[in-house]
Amino acid sequence: MKKSPDTKAVVLYNKEILPGYFLLGLKWKAAKAAPGQFVMLRTSGGFDPLLRRPLGIYSVINAGGKKTFGDDGIELLYKVVGKGTKILSQKVKGDGIDVLGPLGNGFTLKAEHENKKVILLSGGMGMVPLVFFAKALGSGTALFGCRSKAEVQLASGFKKNGCKLRVATEDGSAGEKGLATDLLKDEITNDSVVYACGPVAMLKATAAIAATVGAVCFVSLERAMACGIGACLGCAVKSGKHSGVYDPSGVIENREYKMVCSDGPVFDGADIDWEAF
Amino acid sequence: MKKPARVKLKSNPLEVVIAGVKFKNPVMTASGTFGYGSEFAAYTDLNKLGAIVVKGLSLKPRAGNPGPRTVETPCGMLNAIGLQNVGVDAFIKDKMPFLRGVDTRVIANIFGETIDEYAEVAHRLDNCPGVSALEINISCPNVKKGGIVFGTDPLQAYAVVKAVKDAARLPVITKLSPNVTDIKVMVKAVEDAGTDAISLINTLTGMAIDVEKRRPYLKNVTGGLSGPAIRPVAVRLCWEAKKVARVPLVGMGGIMTASDALEFLIAGADAVQVGTASFVDPDAAVKIASGIADYLKRHAMTLGELVGSIRV
Ligand SMILES: Cc1cc2nc3c(=O)[nH]c(=O)nc-3n(C[C@H](O)[C@H](O)[C@H](O)COP(=O)(O)OP(=O)(O)OC[C@H]3O[C@@H](n4cnc5c(N)ncnc54)[C@H](O)[C@@H]3O)c2cc1C
Ligand SMILES: Cc1cc2nc3c(=O)[nH]c(=O)nc-3n(C[C@H](O)[C@H](O)[C@H](O)COP(=O)(O)O)c2cc1C
Ligand code: FES
Repeated sequence: MKKSPDTKAVVLYNKEILPGYFLLGLKWKAAKAAPGQFVMLRTSGGFDPLLRRPLGIYSVINAGGKKTFGDDGIELLYKVVGKGTKILSQKVKGDGIDVLGPLGNGFTLKAEHENKKVILLSGGMGMVPLVFFAKALGSGTALFGCRSKAEVQLASGFKKNGCKLRVATEDGSAGEKGLATDLLKDEITNDSVVYACGPVAMLKATAAIAATVGAVCFVSLERAMACGIGACLGCAVKSGKHSGVYDPSGVIENREYKMVCSDGPVFDGADIDWEAF
Repeated sequence: MKKPARVKLKSNPLEVVIAGVKFKNPVMTASGTFGYGSEFAAYTDLNKLGAIVVKGLSLKPRAGNPGPRTVETPCGMLNAIGLQNVGVDAFIKDKMPFLRGVDTRVIANIFGETIDEYAEVAHRLDNCPGVSALEINISCPNVKKGGIVFGTDPLQAYAVVKAVKDAARLPVITKLSPNVTDIKVMVKAVEDAGTDAISLINTLTGMAIDVEKRRPYLKNVTGGLSGPAIRPVAVRLCWEAKKVARVPLVGMGGIMTASDALEFLIAGADAVQVGTASFVDPDAAVKIASGIADYLKRHAMTLGELVGSIRV
């Protein structure tokens, strides 16, 4: 309670790796992060945009003894979709950015799942936390879905981190034509453990497929966030498992909503009430 | 480490007394924006806050609304959390032990769906060590009266405050809704019911639509607007309330910086609350308190001289 953590990060590089996609390297003291965790960063020094933006951690820059960058830091990979990410894309080397984190629980390979076949399933920007997780695992089967050939390069990190990679594109311009979940149906067995991140429709389908074959599945969810630290109760998702009983006023005995920022972003796919999404 | 006790030559220039309670500074965290305090412990020095106002408490735990619950709007945000909270008993048992260890005041924000519920929540908090005051959120629909909002009907507001005053000995701050035609009527009603102070404003009801989907962004359709976008409205309401108020005022609405807080103090508020700003910067309230101290020094004024010093 005495000393607040360091939220001051400095831009090392901010490269447009594909049109509209940026790789942002930050020198940051609080760089001890686990795969699947995220940060909340202020894109503007003022109040428009007002709130911090959540971004997943793509990798940790660990200078170790080499001092490549003179310090430790993190890499973020983001797509420009609106005001905040637009401002972010204009940052240059040496600019300061206010970063809160690392936040959330992240992905872990539990001891009871160690002997299972690991599948890392992602769609679009959902690859960000899973490439980081692949690095920690050093192996596994990565399934990646995107719109067309132009975005396939986003998944290159999976191969670099020791995974077998299969790609599906919606227009069939690269890899197999179809969705990442089509590849999943192909690969999944009852002895698989699936880690997934991407659009809600994809995650919903993934949870259903896993449930059908009897595989374990963990999903990383997205919700609009205001605080990122479990205080505003804004990023709620309905949990499927609840022993509470409704009364007409909506009062229940047990907490039924979980917070994506502090209880997640990674949840057991079987714990989420997908119908309420 | 504790410093050796010394005779204080100069008293704390930020100290303020509201409803008979002494606060170390006039900057409090607003209900619903600071959780139960512990969420922020890693990011700011809680001991430097004037007070922590906790998330609104009801008799039973509440699940809250389905998501999406928040959306950003120009210089603001809409929220429809649905008053999710652990319930008053779990608050006393699980949240108060941590808060008692913090060197600040704790104000319990309460609400109910019936007048009896307000009174019962107040009664249960009355004997809880470490709670310094109650803040009544009257921006809540009365289920027994067909959903009419307590905070927009002076008779209902009077009845709630009266019931809470009768149920508890703790000082009572009544938090007013801005969604009324004449704030002065509400000020008089809650004062007549015996409130010890008034805080204002709660969020302004708003709405935002995703034009591509032709759907509201919030699952609840409407939500409460907060943040810098509402500040001019909040300052105006504070200034109007001050014209008739006999009890101290606690102003809020879009305070992001010390200068924003000063607007409320100059308009007549004895203290302020910081809400949405804590999401943007978890250390905002502490920074604002020290900014107010700097201002007083620069203008060689006391806090008492500053409050209501507006020159119109
Ligand atoms: C835990 C978490 C991790 C995330 N990790 C990443 C990441 O690693 N890389 C990345 O690029 N993004 C990530 N996102 C999404 C990212 O937070 C949003 O894209 C960003 O907040 C948009 O901000 P903006 O100001 O640019 O857009 P806004 O102005 O807020 O929105 C502009 C437009 O973008 C759309 N939009 C807003 N949010 C999203 C979203 N989440 N997904 C798709 N469209 C959206 C809106 O509907 C709107 O039309 C993550 C989100 C969460 C919750
Ligand atoms: C996410 C959120 C939750 C809130 N919850 C409560 C609440 O439980 N009780 C209450 O009286 N006010 C609640 N408020 C209102 C704030 O306390 C405050 O009155 C309002 O946000 C205006 O101040 P601001 O612009 O500084 O945020 C909430 C506000 C927000 C943004
Ligand atoms: S973003 Fe505030 S609780 Fe998750």
